[in-house]
Amino acid sequence: MEYRLDRNVHSLLDPRTKLLLLFTSSVFVVGNAGERWMVVFYWILVYLPVLLLLVEKEWVAAGIAGAIYVGCYFAQMALQHDLTALESALALMLYIITKILPTVILARYIVRTTKVSEFLAAMKRMHVTDKLTIPISVIFRFFPTVAEESRSINDAMRMRGIEMGTKKATEAVEYRLVPLIASCSIIGEELSAAAMTRGLDVGKKRSCIWNIRFRLLDWIVMALCAACFIWWGIGRFYV
Amino acid sequence: MNNNRLNAKDLINVGIYTAICAVLCCAVAMTGVIPIMMVLLVVFVPIITGIPYMMFLTKVKKFGMILILNILMGLLMWVTGMSYYALIVGTIAGLVAELIFRVGKYNSKWHGIIAYAVSGLYCWANYFGIFFNADAYFSTRQNFGQDYIDAVTKMLPTWMCPVLFVVDLVCGIIGGWIGAKVLKKHFTKAGIV
Repeated sequence: MEYRLDRNVHSLLDPRTKLLLLFTSSVFVVGNAGERWMVVFYWILVYLPVLLLLVEKEWVAAGIAGAIYVGCYFAQMALQHDLTALESALALMLYIITKILPTVILARYIVRTTKVSEFLAAMKRMHVTDKLTIPISVIFRFFPTVAEESRSINDAMRMRGIEMGTKKATEAVEYRLVPLIASCSIIGEELSAAAMTRGLDVGKKRSCIWNIRFRLLDWIVMALCAACFIWWGIGRFYV
Repeated sequence: MNNNRLNAKDLINVGIYTAICAVLCCAVAMTGVIPIMMVLLVVFVPIITGIPYMMFLTKVKKFGMILILNILMGLLMWVTGMSYYALIVGTIAGLVAELIFRVGKYNSKWHGIIAYAVSGLYCWANYFGIFFNADAYFSTRQNFGQDYIDAVTKMLPTWMCPVLFVVDLVCGIIGGWIGAKVLKKHFTKAGIV
């Protein structure tokens, strides 16, 4: 069988569109700019990540996210009256979940579906300097690693009986942080070696095997984002 | 090859330590739902992130790395819904810290500790929203309940702003000092640094 590389096999959206969407979402969902005025766009931005999950065939994650949204919505409806201290804490947690979750889902979607080389190539086209894009791609690569390492270290320390909340709190922190930093710095060395072999250091223009360009869907999403900002601007300055 | 330019290895190091600092910040900041912790964040964040930061400083040998780390932390703060003040203050503070550490020829311990204290100021910048624009800040947080809003506003009148600035610097120095000690105890002996 002849092997042919399909250069168009990549996710639905262009990396640049994904970043724009993330930015819009963080301004209007997490930052809550515009409030009541933006309510229609707000709901679109909240449910769009679920839609993206469905497109990527992550049925379980999408189902859970949808259920959490609906549950939180009704719980917040129920918590509209004067609040006691306990209810207030509950409302706070619900608030944080509804604010942060859409953006978290979106960020996870972006990390899952964007190849690092794709991201670097797209950033290069926007003339963003390497000095920012390389650290950013490392950060995205590293969040899961840090979480995983710290989970394992936590298990190991629990086995040794060093736990949070006991008398020696400083020891508990120290014995977790030090191994975490040590293992991360070793992983970092390996990562640098890998980057070296990929020629990140050469300083010449790098080519990319994937076809990166805007397509119809990208334009639609970008129009949505632009509409958000324009509508917000109208509400802010003319009404 | 020009040795003063940042190469991929330096940039990857910046990325790694930014990720560690961000994860720690995030873990500590989650406790901010309790009103008193919201104020004490300015104490805990500099102390906890001191250890990875001092480790990071041992890798810094060229101009620009501290600055990039601070810009990225500011960006992360902004994207996760704090304010853009962190980005502005973080950038300026990063530049100052960079210069301080440069004066120490990139290997002086005390210059490093002071540089850490200065660059940690983005943590203080996160409170600007409460100080200067309290109504807008809490209008997005109405459903926290009035109790929470009252508690936080009572603890943070405008004169607390310079106080927190000093607290942040002092805690930064303490954190940096602890970090340097831990570094000496664990990493220098093990030969990692």
